[in-house]
Amino acid sequence: MAPALLAPHSPLLRQHGLIGCSTGYMTDQREDWEQLVVEAAAISGIATELSVISEHELPSLLEYLQLDPVLPFRYISVHGPSKQRRLGERELVERLASLPPWIDAIVMHPDTIDDPSLYRPLGRRLVLENMDDRKDDGQTAAQLDVYFRALPDAGLCFDVAHAKSIDPTMREGEAILDAYATRLRHVHVSSLNEDSHHVPLTDEDELLYPMLLGKCRDVPWILEAPPA
Amino acid sequence: MPGRAVDSRGAAGLAEDPAGHTELLAEQAGIEIPHILQARRHSQESFTTISQALDGEDIPDSISVCVFGSWARHELTSESDHDWAILTAQPTDEQDPEIFAAMRAASRHLGGEGHAPGSQETFGVPFDVHTLAHNVGLEDDTNKNLTRRMLLLFESAAVTGPVHAPGREAILDRYMNEGVKDFWPPRFLLNDLIRYWRTICVDFEGKHRDTHDTDPKWVARNAKLKTSRKLLFAGGLIPILLCHLYGKDQMKTFLARWLPAPPLDRLSAAFQWAQAEAEGARALDAYDRWLAIQQDSQARAELRSLTRQTREESDLFTDIKTIAEQFERALLTLLLDSELMQLSRELIVF
Repeated sequence: MAPALLAPHSPLLRQHGLIGCSTGYMTDQREDWEQLVVEAAAISGIATELSVISEHELPSLLEYLQLDPVLPFRYISVHGPSKQRRLGERELVERLASLPPWIDAIVMHPDTIDDPSLYRPLGRRLVLENMDDRKDDGQTAAQLDVYFRALPDAGLCFDVAHAKSIDPTMREGEAILDAYATRLRHVHVSSLNEDSHHVPLTDEDELLYPMLLGKCRDVPWILEAPPA
Repeated sequence: MPGRAVDSRGAAGLAEDPAGHTELLAEQAGIEIPHILQARRHSQESFTTISQALDGEDIPDSISVCVFGSWARHELTSESDHDWAILTAQPTDEQDPEIFAAMRAASRHLGGEGHAPGSQETFGVPFDVHTLAHNVGLEDDTNKNLTRRMLLLFESAAVTGPVHAPGREAILDRYMNEGVKDFWPPRFLLNDLIRYWRTICVDFEGKHRDTHDTDPKWVARNAKLKTSRKLLFAGGLIPILLCHLYGKDQMKTFLARWLPAPPLDRLSAAFQWAQAEAEGARALDAYDRWLAIQQDSQARAELRSLTRQTREESDLFTDIKTIAEQFERALLTLLLDSELMQLSRELIVF
């Protein structure tokens, strides 16, 4: 497969060299990892996020990655489970720790973490994502501080749409980026609809986001909705 | 001015002297860089000690004792090599009694066991400014000559003697006396630095031609290529591009003012000028983590134990890869995602 170089219509996205997409929005191919990778690479061969946001998807991903597939991406993250959780935390972390060492980041939602110390074996690969207005924790710089103190090696996945949902002035998003500048590993980019679901960038967000994404120019941007 | 990228701020937004801007950027970004600071303290103490020792030697005014590499980057550790040289303005005879005496004094204080300069005699010997400046390009510009000239410009300091600073200016003159345009980076100098960087990369491969992936030095050399060697290159490239803020008559003065500072300071000042403090903070964070490894004798021993074949099994090597990626991405932002983008596009490829 010859990976693509994304040339989106969005001027904001077009300027950024390190861009890719999440398999999370490719609902028709759930757990068909070979096909998901092909689709992701057809959009961009630079970066991708393999999403196992529902826990039941994790075993099939682990099985697929154990085959040591040839993946074209320069940056690969895995979005860990936040829905339909059944495993205990210790067991979940053991499974996540078994991801191949070439997986660059493992994204977790802080509001799903009960005992942060259990996640320490994930080291610098563990990446915490700032949450949206539907959640009750992990939304602000202050709320994230508790987790980062307990997990000193963890990174930040900055979700710009989540930051806007908490504070449309984007000041809280700026506070998060300033407080955790050296933890930033990658960014989630999308807009949110009325139900807080990820949708392609709106014209409004195209104008609003640069004030924060201008602080994130050196990290991969992962699209959480199809590029326009 | 068609085709010329001109910054409307002029040079007003750029630091006069980048020295200390690593600390300033770290403070501005609210980050800690303990290993960079520790390395700087150790380097300063060592420099003072050596300087006082050599001041007590009878070294004539026609000679500078210069140091390069980690000395000039302010990154000395207890295990650093001491890359030093005797610098004169004109060619000399190594048998000259004054040269001999200076060599003996320098090797006495800088050439201790385990710290000797590398085996290729690029350093630890005398060389002269005239030869470096006269032989630019063509057959007489050997690998050694190019290396010495680049390091004298971009990664050197004088421990004693008055030859170093005028020597650096004489080399800048060689590049900048002709063909330089107002508000446009000096292309001759830029080309030679890029050539040097590519030479380092190619020589890295050349050194391992016969070792078939078993060379124990491959891993350490690879790690340095991705970090400190890249810093050397970027630390020269960025100031050269920043020459676009000056008329041709001010460029040499600007470079003569900037190049004595360690390369990390030059980059930090550039990140601040480009209003890329967040990315600059991540560059410093990565480099601080690299120096943490350099300051850890166990980590260094582990690196020496690895080969190209076995490196992927090492968490330490994986860590170095992520450090190098973070560092490089921040530098690429400065080059390709800031006001330098147009210049980088026009000058770095062709």
